Amino acid sequence: MRSEFRTAGKWVGGFLAVILALVVASWVVPPESVSRKVLDALLDTSYASATLRVAVPIAFAAMGGIFAEKTGIINIGIEGFLILSALSSIVAVVGLTNAGLSPQVALWVGFTVGILASIGAAAVFGVFVIRYQSNQVIAGLAIWLIALGLAPFVSLVLYESVNSPSVGTFGTWRIPLLADIPVVGPIFFDASPMVYLMFISAPLCWYVLAYTRLGRYIRASGDNPRALDTAGISVSRTRFKGVLISGVFCGIGGAGFTLGQLGRFVGSGETSIGGRGFLGIVAYLFGNYNPILSTIGALLFASFDALQFRLQQISELAIPQQFFRILPFVVVILVLMFIGRTRIPAVLGEHYDDDE
Amino acid sequence: MSGLKPRLERLFGVLIRLSVSERLLLSSAAVLVAIGVGMLFILGAGYASSCRSPALFVFGLEFCYNPIETYLVLLQGAFGDSFSLAVTLQWTTLLLFTGLSFAVPYKAGLFNIGAQGQFVLGSLATTIALLWAAEIAPSGTAGRLILVPVGLLAGATIGGLYGLLPGYLKHRFEVNEVISTLLLNFIATAIAFVTIDRYFVDEALEGTVSRSIPVEATFTSQLFPSSANFSLGVFVFGLLLLGGFYWLLNNSAVGYEIRTMGTQPKAARFGGVNERFITLFSMTVAGAVAGLGGALFIMMVLGRWMTGAPPVGFDGIAVSILAGNNPLALLPSGLLFGALQSGGQAIQFQLGIPSQLVGVLRGLIILLVATPELFRQLGIQLQRRGLITIEGGRD
Repeated sequence: MRSEFRTAGKWVGGFLAVILALVVASWVVPPESVSRKVLDALLDTSYASATLRVAVPIAFAAMGGIFAEKTGIINIGIEGFLILSALSSIVAVVGLTNAGLSPQVALWVGFTVGILASIGAAAVFGVFVIRYQSNQVIAGLAIWLIALGLAPFVSLVLYESVNSPSVGTFGTWRIPLLADIPVVGPIFFDASPMVYLMFISAPLCWYVLAYTRLGRYIRASGDNPRALDTAGISVSRTRFKGVLISGVFCGIGGAGFTLGQLGRFVGSGETSIGGRGFLGIVAYLFGNYNPILSTIGALLFASFDALQFRLQQISELAIPQQFFRILPFVVVILVLMFIGRTRIPAVLGEHYDDDE
Repeated sequence: MSGLKPRLERLFGVLIRLSVSERLLLSSAAVLVAIGVGMLFILGAGYASSCRSPALFVFGLEFCYNPIETYLVLLQGAFGDSFSLAVTLQWTTLLLFTGLSFAVPYKAGLFNIGAQGQFVLGSLATTIALLWAAEIAPSGTAGRLILVPVGLLAGATIGGLYGLLPGYLKHRFEVNEVISTLLLNFIATAIAFVTIDRYFVDEALEGTVSRSIPVEATFTSQLFPSSANFSLGVFVFGLLLLGGFYWLLNNSAVGYEIRTMGTQPKAARFGGVNERFITLFSMTVAGAVAGLGGALFIMMVLGRWMTGAPPVGFDGIAVSILAGNNPLALLPSGLLFGALQSGGQAIQFQLGIPSQLVGVLRGLIILLVATPELFRQLGIQLQRRGLITIEGGRD
């Protein structure tokens, strides 16, 4: 565990070095040049805030993935849970707003509905892979493909379009005093509630996995299920709990992204989730199943994702928008090459029959 | 209780080594259950949407769509006339290629979820190669003799390279191929869009549409209406490819090594199977076949590149899994999904039910086929309640 934090220290150090290099470069580079504009865009506090916002779905998907995989269940279905949660939250908010509920209340109820939908999907997935021993990779893939069909289907039935109507978002919560700190204040203390939730959840997940009884059971279920069974704890139940917790976090990711940032559901192509669940998977591989490090990974990928909003505005660059869409994916594949083999749970993907 | 398990294993076979008839049974059961669950979705959709004349009343509830009628329209839309049949076969043809693209690496124990990306980049390469070649190629038959191979080769090559990439990452850097192929799909879509949008866009048309490829490079319809864009020759080519891969996997040395690596990785390693070669080979072949599908999509169906490629690559996964990853079984399985695709259009136009329903069915079928245990336990339940008797039955 300690060596992992040394790695994290290196990353944070590297990150600060990059920032420093950018600041130095922005003094050297002549004003009014294109590179100066790029540097200004990168050193803007709103770029940092955008990165935090964009990281929300990726980080929560990663936390969800960790809980499933630590119990020994491969969960490729994360992306599907995010999509289902995103759509359900919007459906609930639209319905409640039409019923006359105040927007803020509707948003929070919608957020809850999104999480419940994701838990429901996770329960179905759990029953299939644990009770009925489905091939976990294929079942996860199936969950994604079902969500990819079901979400636009529902949207078309309800709204006659694959895209939902727009609703409001949570906006930002300004924390008095702290938000007035220069540079750091507007980034960290005038952010979306989802960003705060992300920063609370990551250490909480880490604590639960490392120091609580549930965390120990979850780790044992993935590394040495026989020992857990011998101790009289049901492996199947532990795994089912892990998958349900996975559903909770994926639900927060999908609904948090939709209601915290986008304000609508887009059902065309790969939907508005657009692979963020898969980025989450890479984030926890990057973080070697440590929730805090995985969140740092999510922030790294998000910083590339958020670039598109910044650099698009510099007309001299004239880089097509789609290029920025693939940037995080390209980065992620490069990252995957350097992660190589991670210390995966020993019996990942294998079924275990509890002795009765 | 102790005697139950070996008896059941005798009854149902060891699950990982299902025989052909058991496979068939499992696949049919999965399709039937998926169709049943699909009916619930149709009912739900019919309940949620509003219409002037409800199609169905049950317990005082109004439903806009009748599930039985929906499936009949779907069937009609897939096989009802020669045009519908041609469209079904057109989809089937493409699915044979993307299905193979999943099946071959699967035999080697590798998941290729990237057929969609390989398909898209293959179709992009074919379009570009043909647009370039058109400027120098002669017209008429001579041009055809040059352009058709150029188009097919371009698609297969680029698709193959795009399959080789995750294979190489897997072998050299131990990157999990499920993740890398998934991510490469997203990259492929964007690359194709930007390339066409920047360099090959047809100014006369709205949206991101490339210029038309030369007519000499297109396949025309035989026997079927020309508007259906289905060439019997291409279909036969697809069938030959299935036969070829069946032979390759079951009768050749490479096929033996592929299967050994898939079923007994450790034994394969000790037995001297070249893991590196098999990984790179099967992923490249998978990419090339998917890319070939992309080439044919351009040359037989569209005649130019358009945004929003159909999910043929993802359907290919379903086709292959339903077929038990057996190349010969890809034909009936591909036919089923081809019918779902063309029938899906019919239910959208005639009944107003979103064709995305087909996507849901696809996912359900994959999920159920991946779960033989579900049907086994269902069988046990039914047997216990005395609803069915299975040979060698109860005590």
